[in-house]
Amino acid sequence: MTLRIIAKLDVKPPFVVKPVHFEGLRKVGEPAELAYKYYQQGADEIIYIDIVSSLYQRKLLTPYIEETAEKVLVPLGVGGGVRSLDDFSNLFHSGADKVLVNTEVVQNSPDLINQAAKTFGAQSVVLNIEAKRLPTGTWECYTDCGRIRTSKDVLEWVQEAAQRGAGEIVLQSVDRDGRRLGFDLELIQKVVSLVDIPVVAASGAGSLDDILAVARIANLGGIAIASLLHYDEVTIHDIREFLRNRGVEV
Amino acid sequence: MSATIGIIDTGRSGNTFSIKRSISLAGGKWVEVKDVQALERVDKIILPGVGAFKDAMHELTAHGLVGPLQEHMNRKPTLGICLGMQIMARIGFEHGKSEGLNIFDAEVQPLRCEGKVPHMGFNKINIVKENKILKGVENEPFYFMHSYELVNYTDIASLTSYKSHQFVSAIAKGDIFGVQFHPEKSRDAGVQIFKNFIDY
Repeated sequence: MTLRIIAKLDVKPPFVVKPVHFEGLRKVGEPAELAYKYYQQGADEIIYIDIVSSLYQRKLLTPYIEETAEKVLVPLGVGGGVRSLDDFSNLFHSGADKVLVNTEVVQNSPDLINQAAKTFGAQSVVLNIEAKRLPTGTWECYTDCGRIRTSKDVLEWVQEAAQRGAGEIVLQSVDRDGRRLGFDLELIQKVVSLVDIPVVAASGAGSLDDILAVARIANLGGIAIASLLHYDEVTIHDIREFLRNRGVEV
Repeated sequence: MSATIGIIDTGRSGNTFSIKRSISLAGGKWVEVKDVQALERVDKIILPGVGAFKDAMHELTAHGLVGPLQEHMNRKPTLGICLGMQIMARIGFEHGKSEGLNIFDAEVQPLRCEGKVPHMGFNKINIVKENKILKGVENEPFYFMHSYELVNYTDIASLTSYKSHQFVSAIAKGDIFGVQFHPEKSRDAGVQIFKNFIDY
């Protein structure tokens, strides 16, 4: 079993954008084209997040997802504005293998996690976390791409969601996303040790050394990379080789 | 004329997208099978696997496919993928006990090991009994995403280790094959498995 290297696409249809600190957006390409590029580079998985559908209460635009799914023969995780079992179903039929949930389950209906796990199996229900570090040394859950705060404590919520049947956690950090300052290692370490399900660390990769630092966390399931790949400075192949040369199995 | 592969597609969760694409890439011909009439017309069967055991069996029952599948699997080469392999077992324990298709004698139990569950990501398979479906993929990694494992002692084709726990990653019994991993999510090695199934 090896650590997964995952390419994360933040999509504002029809483009993949590079969020800077979850706000300013820069277009970097089309989802299908970038998914294919990262697949060719050796990505173990692709995560596709529609970063506007939740905020605008809009349905996910499935044609872009289908187009993306057609380009890759590795798992595709899709999220953004998922509110019901029907949404899950639609995404699976559009080529998603896993569905990410955040806003709906944090704000309104945590029970959607239980229902989805029961219907589709835990392995395809992914809890998406947008964590913001507080001065108190704890982390708060945010939704809608870091725009809206909730009063939920991240460390409590991940345990509850795992209990409810989530099969995986994608752990994003509002403070770190797009800033390339390194991962929030303390948060990732804590979450990995608190839950028995796989955790994918996201947000913050600015260099190969940042990636190595997070890859050394024991029992981490995967690392999701966005900006660093979009800048074309390193490829997934480079990351894998760098980690392998330093004893990490990827 | 080449054989037609029927992809059983009844469920709400059926992501058969990549299976279809893989079969096409491997040079095969597929149709979706939602009812008995469609089942009659195919030469081979693929039972895909996304979802939960109980729900998947409910769907097959609701579509009147349980009996017909058991009958057709008797004479048509079949490939079960992930949950598709699991529901060919006698009995499953995902969200309560439920009967499977009983194509081979096995139980589906929660994956119990020191590692995180679901077992998620690329892992190797160790072929313990050669078969035509696993030909040419001996050292390739395959994508796994599962929380349950097949407990079977007689028809094991390959084993996989996860955090010092060994589980059944493929089975073969006559013309019936099953893989715990997702060949349709496993790059070229996965396409090779579909090619092997087409050539079988």
